[in-house]
Amino acid sequence: MATDPSRLGTVEDVKGATVSVVLDEATLSGLAFINGQGYRIGQVGSFVRIPIGYVDLFGIVSQVGASAVPERLAEHEAHGHRWMTVQLVGEGTRRGDFKRGLSQYPTIGDIVHLVTEEDLKRIYGRPDSPKYVKIGSLASSESIPALVDINNLVTRHSAVVGSTGTGKSTTVAGLLNTISRAGRFKSARIIVLDIHGEYAAAMQEHATIFRIGADEARKELPLYIPYWALNFEELLSVTFGDVPNDADRGGIIEGVTETKLDALRKKPRKGVTESTINVDTPVPFSIHHLWYELHLLVKSTHLRTGNQALDTVAYETDKDGNIIDRGDAMKVRPPKCKPQNTSKEAEPKVYLSQSTLNIRRPLEALAFKLRDSRYDFLFKPGDWLPDTEGIPKKDLDELLIQWLECKRPVTILDLSGIPRDILNILIGALLRIIYDSLFWARNLSEGGRERPLLIVLEEAHAYLGKDDAGPAAQAVRRIVKEGRKYGIGAMIISQRPVEIDTTILSQCSTFFAMRLANEQDRSHVTSAVSDNLEGLFSMLPILRTGEAIIVGEAVHIPMRAMIEPPPKNLRPDSQDPVVYDDFDRPGGWNREREPSDYAEVVELWRKQNPASSRIVDFKKKKKEGK
Amino acid sequence: MNWVQVASSNLSRVRYDEKTNTLEIEFHGGRVYQYFDVPLHVYEGLITADSHGKFFGDQIKGHYRFTRV
Repeated sequence: MATDPSRLGTVEDVKGATVSVVLDEATLSGLAFINGQGYRIGQVGSFVRIPIGYVDLFGIVSQVGASAVPERLAEHEAHGHRWMTVQLVGEGTRRGDFKRGLSQYPTIGDIVHLVTEEDLKRIYGRPDSPKYVKIGSLASSESIPALVDINNLVTRHSAVVGSTGTGKSTTVAGLLNTISRAGRFKSARIIVLDIHGEYAAAMQEHATIFRIGADEARKELPLYIPYWALNFEELLSVTFGDVPNDADRGGIIEGVTETKLDALRKKPRKGVTESTINVDTPVPFSIHHLWYELHLLVKSTHLRTGNQALDTVAYETDKDGNIIDRGDAMKVRPPKCKPQNTSKEAEPKVYLSQSTLNIRRPLEALAFKLRDSRYDFLFKPGDWLPDTEGIPKKDLDELLIQWLECKRPVTILDLSGIPRDILNILIGALLRIIYDSLFWARNLSEGGRERPLLIVLEEAHAYLGKDDAGPAAQAVRRIVKEGRKYGIGAMIISQRPVEIDTTILSQCSTFFAMRLANEQDRSHVTSAVSDNLEGLFSMLPILRTGEAIIVGEAVHIPMRAMIEPPPKNLRPDSQDPVVYDDFDRPGGWNREREPSDYAEVVELWRKQNPASSRIVDFKKKKKEGK
Repeated sequence: MNWVQVASSNLSRVRYDEKTNTLEIEFHGGRVYQYFDVPLHVYEGLITADSHGKFFGDQIKGHYRFTRV
């Protein structure tokens, strides 16, 4: 047996899935040649094979040398460098199928072999089934493709973690590019929540891009989220704010339900009747109209003291008795009312509102939000904005078609440049609309169960914090807990995994761990991964850029893979500001200083829009020229 | 005006609007910038220069205001 070149040593100690191996004298050279190929012996992270009867057990080397000596032997073995610790991960039959988990353990004296390229092909290679997607190659041998099982990857959630600049976005772009390659998966459906606007350039050919303040010249579509698709809790948190008093809350619920009912009477919609409608039903209603009516009831003065209603409002009049200003619901302009006057000689007498609702402040908060142009995506959602009657031009189906049924497999929602507090609301609302629609349509061909959806959440730590009770975190928690059954999968991407809620991270069944320098981040990820693979994860700080350790259900066996980057022009643009510019691009400190115009800086700040008004639209010019 | 392809390791293509003196440059990798108030002769210099990249670095970068598009 000593002549078998793949032989490494023998098993000397077994403790659960951890095996201590003593190396043969002959292997001390550190190098073995098998079929003309050189293998380095005892590399941490490499695989070993332990044949037992008809099965082979496979394990990963996690420790080599003095510290791998079993404790009791340490005294006797002063030169303990001949030991090696191995974590067992799975077993395979001689015929070639490999599976996770162990049916039996090795015993003392079993021979340990190094794993040759042939063996690796047996373990990793399943190129014949199209459900495996190649995302790169094994770091240890380039000829073996790194394959991930797309079934488990999509619906069982995954996480991509790694420090900045280690290739997270490139990995994701590569993966998305592979999945969306023409003709491969014709009904693939992926939504990317792109916080930094990195993917638009990289995915141009495969993706439809939505953005707030869309640039039509670049074929972007405007991103709208109609407020009336939210449920009451969400609506309340983005409009009135906190309403602690149950009676006031009830008043608002009644107002919303009534307004919805009014709109439904004017335009019936399938699936909801006057008796089944409730405050959470996603049917259009005019929140502007609701604000106006509540304003009249709560903040106006009235012409009588009992039985106040909308027709008793004391509008201010001019000399001829004409009403000066009834206000404007859509423009959120309150009506002008007469001041209170109940003195004896007053004619007519003007009374304060007797409404029992104590919602003056929430009402002001609502008016403020309705006027704030930053919230236009929500409260003035283009064709989905209901008129004062509560009837919008388009219904939700056309919104869902845009997001879920476009010709291209990937939908990128570019959320760059949106203030953080709004971002959270926006993501929460968006995810809930998507989740609810696919959940209730679960038996249809459009639904999530028959046509799963992958939601890619970029920079997830920004809104999925531990104590984050915001709408985004709530929506994502629901997706990771229940989405698997209804075909809605999340891919969570973060450079700061320690800041992500553990319940969310632990639901991810596949991890792509890129280089992670921070100790806390590493231990957080290690603890979230179900496998017993500390040895493997100790490599995280020394991974090369673009290299990932992939563990979990989407891969047979943990692997260290070099991710294949997409072609240069299809890589995500990280858009990091340049300080020293090597490439002679416009920016950087190392350039002459051109004239400046801070008036325009202020202009854009006030406009809250980064697009300069001086930008020339060449396409338009061309048309005019013709 | 239509795009003019330039052979450069840095610049991909350029175009110019005479009315507003705006020069638009697309770099390799797809980033597009517009330079404001660039005189016509500078634009002509750019497209006729032996090395477009060098001309850009010497005569345009650091001389005119710009914005990303």
